[in-house]
Amino acid sequence: MGLVTGQGYWTPLIWLALAAGVTALAWLFWSRGRRTYKAGTEQDMPFLSGERLPEGVHVGSHHLYWGFVEGLKPILDRLVGFHSGVVVDYVAWTVVLLAIALVVVLT
Amino acid sequence: MNIMVHAPILAIAVPLLGAFALPLFAKVHRNLRDLWGAAVAGFTAAMAVALAVQAFTSGIQVYTLGAPSPTDTVVAGGFPIRIMLVVDALSAFMGLITTVLGLASLVYAWRFLREDQGKTLALTLFFLLWAGIYGLEYTGDMFNFFVFLEITSIAACALVGYRTWESRPPEAAFKTMALYTLGGLLVLLAVGILYGEYGALNIAYLSSKIRGALVDKVALGLLLGGLLMKAGTVPAHMWAPDAYGEAPAQAAIVLVGNTQASLYGLWRVLFTLFGGALFAPQVGWLVVALGTLTLLVAVLMAVIQVDLTRLIAYGAVSQIGYMLLGVGVGLTVLSGRPEFGLVAIRGGVFHMLNDAATVGLLFLAAGAVYRAVGSKDLRALGGLGHDLKWTGGFFLLGALALAGVPPLNGFASKILIYQSSFQLSPILAAIAVLGSILLLAVFVRAFQGAFLGPRLTKAEPAPLSMLVAMGALAVLVIALGLVPGFFLEHLVNPAADALWRGRDLYLAAVLGG
Repeated sequence: MGLVTGQGYWTPLIWLALAAGVTALAWLFWSRGRRTYKAGTEQDMPFLSGERLPEGVHVGSHHLYWGFVEGLKPILDRLVGFHSGVVVDYVAWTVVLLAIALVVVLT
Repeated sequence: MNIMVHAPILAIAVPLLGAFALPLFAKVHRNLRDLWGAAVAGFTAAMAVALAVQAFTSGIQVYTLGAPSPTDTVVAGGFPIRIMLVVDALSAFMGLITTVLGLASLVYAWRFLREDQGKTLALTLFFLLWAGIYGLEYTGDMFNFFVFLEITSIAACALVGYRTWESRPPEAAFKTMALYTLGGLLVLLAVGILYGEYGALNIAYLSSKIRGALVDKVALGLLLGGLLMKAGTVPAHMWAPDAYGEAPAQAAIVLVGNTQASLYGLWRVLFTLFGGALFAPQVGWLVVALGTLTLLVAVLMAVIQVDLTRLIAYGAVSQIGYMLLGVGVGLTVLSGRPEFGLVAIRGGVFHMLNDAATVGLLFLAAGAVYRAVGSKDLRALGGLGHDLKWTGGFFLLGALALAGVPPLNGFASKILIYQSSFQLSPILAAIAVLGSILLLAVFVRAFQGAFLGPRLTKAEPAPLSMLVAMGALAVLVIALGLVPGFFLEHLVNPAADALWRGRDLYLAAVLGG
């Protein structure tokens, strides 16, 4: 049921067995931990970096990877610029692709 | 009459008839329309599956239109003058993908589409597009290939833009139509050049004559330009996020099949029509380079998307990059035929099936989100997992599979692509792995943004038919991931072999000898 990759072998069933073993190990560690957790108390309060937040706050997805996006801003700004939304630009890029294909094929 | 003999033409003609008759039945009663649609879909799927079984077990199936017998391929003198349908293992494989996507779309659409929002029109266009995709995959004739390309283009653009009461879908449809028209003209020009040179349109006959003259090269360049654009390859991919992003979910999933049919056309042109090795390795390197660029650019663009369906659309474009990379590696080394070249093609072909299941699942889940809360904006969404538990689970499954997380199906095909592209150049494998890591980050963000967190608004759970369609694709995603060897042995390997060493068999099946 697995597959030969040319350089090795991949079988998901062995992977699942290993994953089950790791899960069992994690459960073992968890089961030996403290039993003082109480649901419905302030232990359930959401917090971010130790800072208490009021109930109902949702960290929107656009806040994730802010640093990553800022770091790549020069590249991403250039890419967004290419995606202008103007159909003439779309056609122009298709012509560029066609030119590349013709150059590669004809040389 | 043995109906199975006529399966290739029935798989195209029945949905075509279904499309044009459907509005008439709708005039009588909507239940009659639904019954007609179900009967047409069931029959078409049965034909496609039976045809695939025949192609996988008995070899290439050839059907000649207008001949005394459908198997009379050539007239006296050995010239194939009639229109022909040729279904080898690759065509049959693509037909199965089209069947799965079509059925999932139809079941989903049953409750997803509203009567007062053009349900009859959407279903009509769906059957037209479905017929066109089957035609693209089964035809053995270059002019008919162009005709079916146009049928799919018109139907696809209409499906993107039929909701004229909104501003964005018609704009997306217009942009897509402009690009599809350009691509269609390039293909038509190439077909005209080949016809002028050889006086024939039959793919097998043309393949037996093409020797690499200047006009052949120009025709190949035009076909590459047109088909790469329609497959959504960077830098001509920009229509794809617009079209996928604005199409309703039941249409977006069929658009995935439409894009894959264009990729199939590209493989057919490169490996069968032009004999693969004739222009290798430079064309192979071109495909590899464009594939790598596509997966990287698309995934970087996905990072900054705030519209859920546009985010998935960029994810879908990135997967086209993986397919181009896999099959491109095989094409690059086709002359020497090392083992890793075949593995690469298997990876690329397997990824088409996996992509259809996972991207299809994601689009359907996103459609359920939009139906539930009327928004796709990730800045406004949140906490939907409280109400849309099944949809959230399906989205998470599709996201993990698309990112190539083991043991799901995306990983099974990507590992073949990683390892074989590493043999060609480790840089290619590194970029491919980087693309998957970024994709995981993108979809973690999408899942967190839409489904996690406190409940922001009350959402209406998806109806049963939508859940059934998503569930069927989810089961496929899991099955493809857990037993990849089974699918590889019975479906993918024969399809990949049709590219790797199947050209001679294809020519023999059509031309004899």
